[in-house]
Amino acid sequence: MIETKLDRKSRKFRDLSFYDYTDANNYFLLPFRFHHLTQDKEILVNEVGDFLIVPTGTAETIIKRKINKEANSELFGDLIANFFISEEQIPPLIDVYATRYRTKKLFLNYFTGLHIFVISLRCEHTCHYCQVSRVTENRDKYDMSRYYIDKGIDIMFRSPNPHVTMEFQGGEALLAFDNIKYAVEKAERIAEEKGKGITFVICTNLVLVTEEILYYCKEHSILISTSLDGPKFIHDSNRHKPHASSYELAIKGIELSRQILGGDRVSALMTTTALSLNYPIEIVEEYHNLGFQGIFLRNISPYGFALRTEKSKYETDEFLTFYKIALGKILEYNFNGHHFTEELARIFLTKMLTPFNIGYVDLQSPAGLINGVIVFNYDGGVYATDESRMLAEQKDFTFKLGTLEDSYNDIFFGKKAQEISKIWANEGLAGCSECAFQQYCGADPVHNWATQGDMYGYRPTSNFCKKNMEIIRYLFELMESDLRIKRIFERWVKQRS
Amino acid sequence: MAHKNFIKDNEIVVFADTSLFSKDAVFKCLYWYGDKFHTNVSFSDSDTYKVAITPLSSANIKQDELELYQQKLERDLVDFQLRDIVTKETQNVRDLLIAKAFSNGEFDEEPIGEVSDPVGFDVNDINHDRN
Repeated sequence: MIETKLDRKSRKFRDLSFYDYTDANNYFLLPFRFHHLTQDKEILVNEVGDFLIVPTGTAETIIKRKINKEANSELFGDLIANFFISEEQIPPLIDVYATRYRTKKLFLNYFTGLHIFVISLRCEHTCHYCQVSRVTENRDKYDMSRYYIDKGIDIMFRSPNPHVTMEFQGGEALLAFDNIKYAVEKAERIAEEKGKGITFVICTNLVLVTEEILYYCKEHSILISTSLDGPKFIHDSNRHKPHASSYELAIKGIELSRQILGGDRVSALMTTTALSLNYPIEIVEEYHNLGFQGIFLRNISPYGFALRTEKSKYETDEFLTFYKIALGKILEYNFNGHHFTEELARIFLTKMLTPFNIGYVDLQSPAGLINGVIVFNYDGGVYATDESRMLAEQKDFTFKLGTLEDSYNDIFFGKKAQEISKIWANEGLAGCSECAFQQYCGADPVHNWATQGDMYGYRPTSNFCKKNMEIIRYLFELMESDLRIKRIFERWVKQRS
Repeated sequence: MAHKNFIKDNEIVVFADTSLFSKDAVFKCLYWYGDKFHTNVSFSDSDTYKVAITPLSSANIKQDELELYQQKLERDLVDFQLRDIVTKETQNVRDLLIAKAFSNGEFDEEPIGEVSDPVGFDVNDINHDRN
């Protein structure tokens, strides 16, 4: 039986001569973009984020049909294999390529997953850069009512996503812990009835955390996300708490949470303020010394109080310098055998080095707002993102999609959502449409609105664009310059992808 | 008549042959100069674009930097023309790729020829067994 099959002449493959073109430069271009990485190198990126780093001028040679199949056989092979060119007008493996494209956009398959409940606007801190206005009194006015909690849960379970995340934010979420318990228990019941997966997260500064709260979190598999801006002098300067050290309370809370919940159930986020910019090494060391496996070097959001105080203003260039020094320290830990990651780099690297994308709301196209996240504010307002409700605290309701009294369809597919959807894909934005880093980046209409006054945005003056472009370029430069770094980055994306 | 690019009175002027450079490429290139320059495109004659940029007073561009910006503009025009060629030549295949990616399989095509395996498996039998 097998022999019979093998006897078939050429087994349906065409004769070799079929593939030999008389004109060795005869090929078709496939969609790709290019960018100058350094003086001598440029990068070619295809539609799914595969890249080739080549000598400057190669893109021009390819486009002008000067790549010769025989004389440049190595490059020619790479270009064919990576869908930069094709010997046929429609590449024979286009269905494979389409499947890869679909994989990169898989986050669209399930629609909204992250549901943020602003459970209370009250807070006992007075941070100078806080993204939300803070109020300390009037529980009735600034806590989410159980009526709205019920409405929010109802809408959350209408999401087609088979696994939803319910995240409690503030103000300080633990000020309304009774309501969190009510919401968790109700959502757990409904998730079980509907056969959906659910993850709970409480975002808290941990000042109010107690053993009782943490045992409740353990029983209900609730994750803790807290804030840590670096060493004591930075954290306490950024996060002012009257008559106490916010840092010491946070550290105590982190230790207690780890004891009761386990280390992997507690994460911390830092925000880079103007003060932080001078201490990249110290901030990284703080996270490392506290036993975290990584750090997310986040620049300050252009929302809330952040841009209203001189203390928090800084230029993107300063942040990039800070970022590169901090990343250098992180790589040093890795050279010495410690696994320690930088989260923003890991997000970009996952898009660069794997067939997959990553569900990070700020770097998606179509944008993560509505598609990936929705925010239910304490007063029943529904917003496209967490940043949108911060704008609302400044009386800017541009990204208010409706209220919890509205229907699911009106919120998610209403006029406002349709308006935003026109500009939420970077594939169709001026400056992004032919950008080589398009597949690694995303669209952020809320950021554009907050910083430039229109949702479409203007890339030449956009700090979002400047920051992402330079960090992506820098990551490529690092990988190209030192093979050890490439290996470290590959390990980072293998850990959790 | 060939035009020579120049800098005069704080203005950088670069010429582009309309038979070599598309209007799209010229505008996409100039888009990136809007943060630091006033930009202007006009016809020098029927076959030539005249691309002119003048520094914004807020950009603090020094006189001796203008030559570097002229060189950058000349290079960028070529790059954006190359990008424009790729965009236009590959538009159909890109549309097809995305249509296939987001379809429910209605655009998928059977591979050319008979589906078989030299080892002797019958692909259809395998599918049948699974059902």
